[in-house]
Amino acid sequence: MSGKKAQNSTPWQRFRRDRWAMVGLCILAAEAVLVLLLPPLMGLEPNVTDRAAGFWAPPSWEHWLGTDDVGRDVFARLLYGGRVSLLVGFSAAAISVAVGVPLGLLAGYRRGVCEFWIMRCADVFQSFPTTVLVLCLVALVGASVWNIVVVIGLLGWTSIARLVYGNTLSVREQEYILAVRALGGSTATILRRNVLPNVISPVWAALAQRVGRAILSESSLSFLGVGIRTPQASWGNIVQYATNITVFSDYPWIWVPPSVCIVVTVFALQFVGDGLRDAMDPKYVSSTGVEERNAFCRDTPVELLAALEDPDES
Amino acid sequence: MTVIPVFFGITLLVFVFLSVAPGTIADLMGEGGSAIASDQAALEERLCLNDPLPVRYVNWLGDLFQGDLGLSWQTGRPVSESIAQRVGPSLILTGTGVALAILLAIPLGTLAAWKPRSIWNKLASVCSMVSFGVPGFLLSLVLVYVFSLTLGLLPASRMYTTGTSGSLGDLLYHLALPAAVICISNLGELVKQTRAACLETMGEDYIRTAWAKGLKGRAVLVRHVFRGSLTPILTTVLTHIPHIIGGSVVVERLFGWPGMGSLMFTAILSRDYAMVMGVTVVIALTVFSTNLLLDLVYGLVDPRVRQGRGGV
Amino acid sequence: MKQRTIALAAAFTLTASLTACTQTPAPSGAQPQSTSNAPVVVSYGISNAWDSLMPYNSPSGSNYSRMIYDKIYDRLAYVHADGTLSPRGAKSWESADDGLSVRFHLDEKAAFHDGTPVTAQHWADTIVRMTDPACPTLGRSAFSVLAGTDSSGAAVAGETLGVTVEDEYTLKLTFKSATTPEDFLLDRNREYYVLPTHLMEDVAPADTMSMDLWAAPIGSGPCKFQSEVMGSALILTANENYQLGAPGFDELDITVMDKNSLLTALIAGDLDYYAIGGSLSAADQPTAESAGFEVLEGTVPNTFFELMLNNESISDARIRRAIELSLDKELLCEQSTQGHGTVTGTSVLPTCASYAGDYNTAYDVDAAKELLTEAGYDGTTYSLACTSNRQGLAALMQQQLEEAGFSVQVETVDSTTMFAGMADGTYDMGIASHTPNALPLWFTESRFTAENNIFRVADTAPYEERIDAVKNETDPEQRTAALAELEGYLAQERPFIPLWFGTALHVQSNTVSGIDYPSASFSNENVWEWVKE
Repeated sequence: MSGKKAQNSTPWQRFRRDRWAMVGLCILAAEAVLVLLLPPLMGLEPNVTDRAAGFWAPPSWEHWLGTDDVGRDVFARLLYGGRVSLLVGFSAAAISVAVGVPLGLLAGYRRGVCEFWIMRCADVFQSFPTTVLVLCLVALVGASVWNIVVVIGLLGWTSIARLVYGNTLSVREQEYILAVRALGGSTATILRRNVLPNVISPVWAALAQRVGRAILSESSLSFLGVGIRTPQASWGNIVQYATNITVFSDYPWIWVPPSVCIVVTVFALQFVGDGLRDAMDPKYVSSTGVEERNAFCRDTPVELLAALEDPDES
Repeated sequence: MTVIPVFFGITLLVFVFLSVAPGTIADLMGEGGSAIASDQAALEERLCLNDPLPVRYVNWLGDLFQGDLGLSWQTGRPVSESIAQRVGPSLILTGTGVALAILLAIPLGTLAAWKPRSIWNKLASVCSMVSFGVPGFLLSLVLVYVFSLTLGLLPASRMYTTGTSGSLGDLLYHLALPAAVICISNLGELVKQTRAACLETMGEDYIRTAWAKGLKGRAVLVRHVFRGSLTPILTTVLTHIPHIIGGSVVVERLFGWPGMGSLMFTAILSRDYAMVMGVTVVIALTVFSTNLLLDLVYGLVDPRVRQGRGGV
Repeated sequence: MKQRTIALAAAFTLTASLTACTQTPAPSGAQPQSTSNAPVVVSYGISNAWDSLMPYNSPSGSNYSRMIYDKIYDRLAYVHADGTLSPRGAKSWESADDGLSVRFHLDEKAAFHDGTPVTAQHWADTIVRMTDPACPTLGRSAFSVLAGTDSSGAAVAGETLGVTVEDEYTLKLTFKSATTPEDFLLDRNREYYVLPTHLMEDVAPADTMSMDLWAAPIGSGPCKFQSEVMGSALILTANENYQLGAPGFDELDITVMDKNSLLTALIAGDLDYYAIGGSLSAADQPTAESAGFEVLEGTVPNTFFELMLNNESISDARIRRAIELSLDKELLCEQSTQGHGTVTGTSVLPTCASYAGDYNTAYDVDAAKELLTEAGYDGTTYSLACTSNRQGLAALMQQQLEEAGFSVQVETVDSTTMFAGMADGTYDMGIASHTPNALPLWFTESRFTAENNIFRVADTAPYEERIDAVKNETDPEQRTAALAELEGYLAQERPFIPLWFGTALHVQSNTVSGIDYPSASFSNENVWEWVKE
């Protein structure tokens, strides 16, 4: 498993050798480029009714994926929806990490009261019926993109925090950390310089996974009618048309492309996540001097602690 | 005993959110804005909606401690009665789905770890991908279209065929599609966990010792690897209990299944906050008991982890 | 060798668990009830849950709840889609006391499910109890038309309540103002039920709603209660002794399911029929037809769409008129109904006897722009609230309003939030639809009072004056004139914008005959004439 070649390479080199991870990365990059550049290049308008084409028009040269119930171009909506869905996915995951990593570090390093309350808080968030919180917040502040990002992001912090917490627990007992502590280093510095680099690598893989989860959560919310709302498009709310049996059976060009986009994106994120995990495996990060017993040990917490995921509906 | 403040935290949070959300059940009255103010006032008075928030919360808590979840705002009947009616179907649906997933995931995950280059590992990866990548509602729509509408093999909704409530065969017949969706949705995670747990065990010294002792492959797999991985696998299984009690909103909505998920969803839409609070309490209690159970299992099976997990 | 055993074991587990779910559908294809003594069941879908099974304890008072009460309890009459009436609890009725009262001759054959005959005393006791201020009645305003009640419908101490038992089977209701039996029944029939008051004698009015009776109610309607999973399923059995005839089935199974699943379930054969009236959108018509279902258009309009306006934040009538001018109602109607609607400039149905006719529905962007300039519209952004199933309509409206120079923000919310937000002024506009009836004031009467001022008009007096003028006029011609006067004032002030009347499409059940589809929009169904084949 651990060839000599791998031992001396940088994470990026190792990542590049992972064929599937590169495929995933290329898919994500291609999506980002298409979604950002195509609409201005092609002059696509997602919110304009084409009266000539009418409602539910089939695909044509003018409207590659036909028009929807309001006579809007579905292809344009697919691209604009992609912007929203990807934005929701990445921003929500970023929030999860931004909240989860510091809290996990603090809980694992300081232990005591800190650990107690943070981990109790994680329990609260975890046992919270997700639907209630989402519906309430959405009702309270309106179903805007950012509200949904914040809700999904905040609900995802527990898994990241638990992951970081678990790793911090083992790292803080390492001799060199004890040594730095004995030398009187401040908590913030130790956490940043010595602990964080040792616990952050599995977070990258978890991050990719959270992006996928967030995209799925958004589409499920849209399905329940509480997600991103039109006129704004998202992949989730275009797929929602498929709940109507006529659209499902007779107009597949409306719901199949966004479904494929969702599935392919989540797959790509999985590949990238797995690739990152393998590439960042701290067994090879020698600078910190942490000795690892075996390659699997680092592997495990990601998987195990993800089990303590919030009960997301996806 | 930290469960108690956490419990207060959860209920208070939900209570406050519900109270601040715009519109009350009284605004649902009448059709499209024709509600009469006096009718709305009567309802608000009955539900004490005009009392200050802390008073209402304390009253609700007081009732809760007497084991009373109150009356549903919508049906005027006890919340506990509704929950009692809905827990069963959720248990049956999600329970079956998750149980199937566990039955499939444990052998698959173990084999995938055991033989990393075999077809089992590939199959495990594919399962995880599909399970993580395909949203449950899409899966449901496709399955219903194929099996109910096109092939006409399986029913698309309800728990029993009308007029025949009770027979087990009929229940299983109606269970097939929704349980399959839940099984597939949970399969990926379970396979991944099992595989990871087995991989970890396989790296342990005592497995090497077992190999060194000259034990044969199957013996090592069953006697050591699988047994060693039991704790993390059990953890994963246990953490699914709240899911099972809480049901699945999407699948229950789509298949017209009378479970907790659809109960919660309709309660929120119809602003039946007594019901929302009731379901919240039940789910929170389930999570706490699961966590307690987990700690017990950890403590019993693996003293190392008990230390790592922090006192509860 | 060992690997093979493991593989075999795994394969066995796999097959075992798979067969667990695949083997059971063995009886598929064949109809579940093939034996002759199995009950004949009508499977009925509904998209929203009912409330309490006590009709006067319904917080929402929704049509879905009324559909259920309609089965278990009896009403005075049956209202057809076209506004005509036929007997139900009452065999006949006539005006009395110079139009102030209506005398109902009850059907002597009517009986509660426990066998007790329904008498005029039951009706009177029901009304007395429900109007008793001590009784926590919900939706009590239904009784506010009766003499001796206040505006909330509660009986006033010292006054005589407008309900009289003339003999065992003759009931007289007396109103505050002259009302024809037809007007009363069209307006209120769905809110008047007879309760088994003989079972309630020992219970104080204040405790009425907490009686165990409502967990297993006894009524005198065409179906008897059997069992309920609250908010999800209800099983009723046919009342063999219903005075209008026994239903042609043994059991009515009502299941709540997602709106989008109803047609799917009907095609899959899980349902025989779904409420309300098996209605479906025009877009779904080909799907239903290709699945072997006949789809018929309703006989009369059954939905009225309006754009609610907040007259406080949009205080200039010229701006409100400009909103109407900038809306291409024809296109909006086409988007929403796909050819099954007619645009309108009034809430009064064309079939109404007092319809004054010819209302302006012009679409004129230039005129709208002119009005806006004249009114000095400052570019304020207006919020347009809609429910999630009307998002497309709202998006189209937004485009049209922006063409005329308005700035509009769409807010998709649930209906509770929308109506609450319109009432408290959170939103500036809102899209709503209602079930119209042939009465001239069905819409306007309840919306311009101090009690309910959803459009937030500054002064309701000019509206109330004109509405009262229509109400108190009995001469048909004079009434038309009074209505024209009211409509003229509404057109000038434009407190709300009437959009169109839609006509429903009904999927005809392949398994149940005799269903009066269109009348379902009046929250009553002729279950006693249904026959499951």
